[in-house]
Amino acid sequence: MDPTRQLIDQWLLGIGIGAYIAAALALFAYFLMRHPLLRTIGISLAAAGCVAQFGELGARWWMTGVWPLTNLYGSLSLFSAASVAIFLVFTARYDLAFAGGFVTTLAAIAFTYGTTWNEGYMPAVPALQSYWIKIHVPIVITAYASFMVAFSVALIYLLKSVAESRYARRSVVGAAALSAAGPGGAANAYAISPGLETIRSGTPALDQAAAAGDATAQWLTGLPTLAKLDIMQYRIIALRWSLLALGIITGAMWAKEAWGAYWQWDPKETAALASWIVYAIYIHLHTRPEWRGTRSTIINVIGFASIFFCYLGVNVWIGGSLHSYKM
Amino acid sequence: MEARSAAGLTASFTSPLRAAWRDAVALFANIPFGVSLLALWALLTLIGVVIEQGKDASFYASEYAPPLARLIVRLDLENIYHSPAYIGVLGLIICSMTAATFTKVIPRRIPRLNPVKIEAIPLHASVRVAGDVESVRERVGAFFAARGWQVRKREFGGAEWTFADKNNWARRGVLVAHVGFVIIAIGTTIYWAKGYSGQFAVLSGQSATIPESGARIDLERFAYRIDPIRTKAGLVYQPIDYVSNAKVTGRDGLAREAVIRVNQPYDVDGTLIYQATYGFAIDFRLTRDGRPVPGPEMLKEGEGFTIPGTSRSIQYQRFVGTIDRATGQPAADPRPNDPGVVVQAFDGDQPAGAALIPLGRAVDLGAGYKLEAARYVLYSGFQYRYDPGMLWVGIGALVLLAGACVAVYLLPARLFVLVREVSPGASEVGIAATTVKGYDIFEERFREIVEALRRSEPAHDTASAERVPALKGV
Ligand code: HEM
Repeated sequence: MDPTRQLIDQWLLGIGIGAYIAAALALFAYFLMRHPLLRTIGISLAAAGCVAQFGELGARWWMTGVWPLTNLYGSLSLFSAASVAIFLVFTARYDLAFAGGFVTTLAAIAFTYGTTWNEGYMPAVPALQSYWIKIHVPIVITAYASFMVAFSVALIYLLKSVAESRYARRSVVGAAALSAAGPGGAANAYAISPGLETIRSGTPALDQAAAAGDATAQWLTGLPTLAKLDIMQYRIIALRWSLLALGIITGAMWAKEAWGAYWQWDPKETAALASWIVYAIYIHLHTRPEWRGTRSTIINVIGFASIFFCYLGVNVWIGGSLHSYKM
Repeated sequence: MEARSAAGLTASFTSPLRAAWRDAVALFANIPFGVSLLALWALLTLIGVVIEQGKDASFYASEYAPPLARLIVRLDLENIYHSPAYIGVLGLIICSMTAATFTKVIPRRIPRLNPVKIEAIPLHASVRVAGDVESVRERVGAFFAARGWQVRKREFGGAEWTFADKNNWARRGVLVAHVGFVIIAIGTTIYWAKGYSGQFAVLSGQSATIPESGARIDLERFAYRIDPIRTKAGLVYQPIDYVSNAKVTGRDGLAREAVIRVNQPYDVDGTLIYQATYGFAIDFRLTRDGRPVPGPEMLKEGEGFTIPGTSRSIQYQRFVGTIDRATGQPAADPRPNDPGVVVQAFDGDQPAGAALIPLGRAVDLGAGYKLEAARYVLYSGFQYRYDPGMLWVGIGALVLLAGACVAVYLLPARLFVLVREVSPGASEVGIAATTVKGYDIFEERFREIVEALRRSEPAHDTASAERVPALKGV
């Protein structure tokens, strides 16, 4: 490839990573200070990084004629771009900006790590020369990316929930709330209002501490309610659980065409199945009021660990996968 | 009398059975039980990812500590996906799902139209409006119908209830998803019962037969393309294409020209043949004191032979496309420019040294034996599969996906509306909402609906309307 084209590629790459790092700083600052200007700056930078990254992927394709998702570099590139894109879409709908620092940091890490796998421009090995690569791979990577967004919301849920139980343990009101909640305490927000079978009553100990002027509590109460965070997680996971199913199905269709069997028990597809089952567990437990909230958030975290293992762990630690990019 | 005692006997015989059946159904329908099975399924699936599958005992003995290696073999962990435990867990999941579908999902997701205690439902509100009960009920019904709610009216104990449903049809999504899972299970069972699969390798110019179907494959030529590509890490030799030109004879006895490429399987009488691998078979010639010794012929990578009359054996390990002339070591280019083979000698089970032999040059094995790798012949590795359950699996997967999407994206909600007279010319609209996903998820929407209803109705008197909280408990 000629040097000018390579330069364009390098520039877009640099802008992408730079914009994510700056966005992460702005959005973490927003997370801490809640100044609307920081939010606007952070979201704009995240959007700019995302556009640069998609631009870089498109430019690579256009300049080399080689579909860019045939190696781990291209794949991690799309992963980080898709996670930021999903974050932006959900932010427009549910005001997720407070989770933006986590998402853009993880996106920057994934993207930077991806560049270490950049071998340059290689045509695809025969097994990857199929139109299915243009269908299956983006679907699966988008599904992985959205689980990362759900994971970021889970972290905030756990932060708020743990803080609530700390404050509850400290305060008199909290002690009362805890004893009413029984074992497990206010960390499981359902127990606060068992009659209502909802978690909307939220965080009484935090609210009380905030009213008494505790700055940390005031900051924590500014985050969405536990109920809202729980619903956000459910919405993202529900949407993407079906996307992962679609990814597995399109993978099976490709496998049928490439290897003769729609299912080969290949480590990668099997690990994706395991992740799908973990999220199926989440979806099922979420139908039960007593499992919504902290418990289902923990399953979300386990689900993300399984996605992480499936996406990178299998490539890096497990040999012999038909999905190895170096085949 | 006799008849009665016989009936009693039957009853006493059947009731413990019935009770046991009921207990079993209750256990299987229990979500934590079903979810535990799903967790077990995920765990077994992950074990198979971590432990390499389908190897023989010696592989595990060399890879793992002896107790772990023994455990892997004893518990079938090396073939976990076909083990009784794995299949058993899947069977239990289907039983659990079926029990839950009939006893929980259907009653919960498709509830009858019954009156409720409005105040007992967390999402409830009351709106006081002007007008008699009859006219208010009509207006409220029209209000919901205009906003796309399916409105139905029923009378219970003299009171007329209005039920408004949104996405009512989507309540069946879970059922569809569960049915999809069952269809997939049927498809895989059909494959186990009637399908087959396997693999074989054919040398260029030779033929092979698929034992289960009798189809014959004459491989005329196998070709590959490997291109040198300059990357950041240096020169890399990237495979670009593998293709087999063959004649395939099916049940009708006619030989047809077939081009079998990666990603482009060939169908013969419903059995699909796939280009899977390729390799270099080597024509080994063994001589003793200059005379040919029968034994080795065309060997593929991993195959070997024993030297007659000795405890020694030779294994053909791998083909080297290019030997670097300067160093005598394998070079990076896998294409056969200056080829050779790596052979490993064994004395009994013990490795006794390896050597890289250039093609066409003989090596001395001792005791008068000489071995020469005379020439290579490309062979093509095929996989074949006949899967009569595949259509079922495909349909099941799409049904599952469609059901899951409907179940998780759409939110069926039901409003229970009861209009009561509070004073002449004034009515109170009691309204409660339930959804299939709890109350929190509908809280904001419910608030909007109540506000819209309040705005659309002439208030009975503003002061009293304001006094009534829009949403108790919110
Ligand atoms: C262990 C076996 C299973 C049992 C016992 C089971 C049972 C249930 C139950 C009781 C519900 C909740 C219904 C309600 O509350 O209204 C449900 C929901 C659901 N199930 Fe299953 N199920 C099983 C396996 C599966 C599998 C393998 C799938 C795969 C597609 C699946 C897909 C769904 C979906 C999509 C929902 C809807 C969840 C939601 O609306 O959030 N289930 N299942």
